[in-house]
Amino acid sequence: MQRAIESVGIPTILIAALPPVVRQNGSPRATAPRVPMGANAGEPHNVEMQTGIVKDTLKQLEILDSPGKIVPLPYEYIAKV
Amino acid sequence: MSLKKYDGLQSEIYVPITPQPVWAPVTKELKDMKIGIATAAGVHLKSDKRFNLAGDTSYREIPWDTKSDDLMVSHGGYDNSDVNKDINCMFPIDRLRELAKAGFIKGLAPVEYGFMGGGGDIEAFTDKTGPEIAQKLKAEDVDAVIMTAG
Repeated sequence: MQRAIESVGIPTILIAALPPVVRQNGSPRATAPRVPMGANAGEPHNVEMQTGIVKDTLKQLEILDSPGKIVPLPYEYIAKV
Repeated sequence: MSLKKYDGLQSEIYVPITPQPVWAPVTKELKDMKIGIATAAGVHLKSDKRFNLAGDTSYREIPWDTKSDDLMVSHGGYDNSDVNKDINCMFPIDRLRELAKAGFIKGLAPVEYGFMGGGGDIEAFTDKTGPEIAQKLKAEDVDAVIMTAG
């Protein structure tokens, strides 16, 4: 999906919980906070963390200059299973 | 020294192949960008048809001003408990609206897109669903797309 959107000329960035999968699938731009699958954009109701993840992810649109990079983000949420 | 060559010789070990890079350059500053959301997390309006959890390559449109309480998830491929508590975990629409209000971005795309990723009929996603969503985003002059998947 990300690649399809990118192919029509729209830049994309993906928030990944599973960076190896994202790398394998050829994501052009991605960030990777330390989050479980299902809370990619951060802990439920943690507005501060979610804002940080979304803001830092968007900022990478202006920073990244070549495809295939996955930028680790300094946020951590461990779900209580 | 000359090396012996065998045409068509290949490793018996499976080697994963990463697809060719794709890249659309960023030409605007964030404050001038209309940002769309596309998520593989199975997000859709509560009033919409649910995804078929056994495999579904369709997608749902979500207007930018939808209340987060009017959204839900149907996806058979991950633990939905966090996203059921707060849709913003996978679909940060409230956060993006706040960022637009604060002037960090120009605004949201008029329509956001939800689909059920995590496998299934990859060919249909690659050849149909993906290009369809991409064309719609392009027609609406969306400047960049933030995604949650993987």
